[in-house]
Amino acid sequence: MAMRGRISVESRGDAVAITGTIDETAGLPELLGLAREHRLVLDLGGIVFINSLGVRDWIRMQGAARRAGIAVELRRVPEPIIHQLNMIIATRGRARVTSFFAPYACDACGREDSLLIDAVVHARALARQEPPAAMPCADCGGEMAFNDFPERYFSFLSV
Amino acid sequence: MQRILGGTGHGVDAVDDLEQAVPLVAGRAPRLVVVDGGAVSSPTFDEFFAAARARGAEACVALLDADHQTHLPQILGLGSVTNLLVHPMPVLGEELTITAQKLIRGDLFGAEKYLLWGTELHATTMTRASQRPQLVGELGDHVRDRGQSERVASMAMLVADELLSNAVHNAPVDDRGTRYRAELRRDAEIELDDRHRFVLRWGCDGRYVAIEVSDGFGSLDRDAVLRALAYSDIKESGGGAGMGIALTYRSCDHLVFNLAPGKRTEVIALIDVRYPPGERVPASSYNVFVERG
Repeated sequence: MAMRGRISVESRGDAVAITGTIDETAGLPELLGLAREHRLVLDLGGIVFINSLGVRDWIRMQGAARRAGIAVELRRVPEPIIHQLNMIIATRGRARVTSFFAPYACDACGREDSLLIDAVVHARALARQEPPAAMPCADCGGEMAFNDFPERYFSFLSV
Repeated sequence: MQRILGGTGHGVDAVDDLEQAVPLVAGRAPRLVVVDGGAVSSPTFDEFFAAARARGAEACVALLDADHQTHLPQILGLGSVTNLLVHPMPVLGEELTITAQKLIRGDLFGAEKYLLWGTELHATTMTRASQRPQLVGELGDHVRDRGQSERVASMAMLVADELLSNAVHNAPVDDRGTRYRAELRRDAEIELDDRHRFVLRWGCDGRYVAIEVSDGFGSLDRDAVLRALAYSDIKESGGGAGMGIALTYRSCDHLVFNLAPGKRTEVIALIDVRYPPGERVPASSYNVFVERG
């Protein structure tokens, strides 16, 4: 595992897993050096926070990937990054999101969770901006329903 | 609307459209004019705002109909609307009353005005730039400890980070108005002397998480704020205070700028914790108040 500013970077299968905070110290474009055969898979499940300077670094990484002909795949994209992808179109670049976290809430007990959605398996429903069906609540076994506006939360998938 | 504003004790005149409003404003000197967001498409919209401003009135646009949210990009793009309230009742009543009272009394500063009586605001003075990540992380922990969701904690952290970063790097200006710290590396250590120190305050009353950052430069300009709020996208090379303001605005439910030019800037971000994400209005209110000399 290598530390870069406030993120740590490690190999996880065919992916590069980064965890921590993406800010002015991240140096994300340098991650492109870890691409294999013009493909870079980023596992973002451990990212807890990204600030505006981190967003700028992220956009630079996307631009550098495009110029270098590197295809970027994003896995387990957490909510803080989804919010940026939805707010700032430039953050999307040409990256392909294959899985991401989304907010769910249990009507029965009130538990809120961030649950993983497979964007490939659910591609057709997501294209219609329909969230996957209810998932079981870890606390009470009740049904957890998607807890945001689908047209807003899934808008990053439309470009 | 008439009942909400009537609660201030001041006279309220109501008209059906801007055509009726223009001559009404011309004959009086209102303190505040409130316009429905749907009127932005009216050919008289600019004329009315100009007439109101010429009479010394503050203008406020309120979205009285949820359908009018489609007008938001147009309203933001005007770059001249200093008060925009997007929430339905009962939140609209609270936002409009506070807006009116602040303008009528000329008493602009302090997050207390947006929180219930008795709510404690925790204050931290920032004395060096490297405190920022620690303060932001601690704020996130405190918000979670108060029982708020990860989403709310994440929004609070983003807002605090941007406001602190702006106060360190973009607020300081010299006598010529040059922002002499704007180009410094954000991860560079900077000791903040008495002139450059500033205060972060935050509190939660069960309705809002409020985050307030105030500095002693008063260098944030009203028009620059309005331009930043209208940002819909950023480019690779973009940035500065504008991008931070745009992200902050989109990460909270109500953003308030209290500006005393050359003396003080205070920014208050309110995150509404009453409603789950799926029931929240997908837009944010803002106010840009400028202290009158």
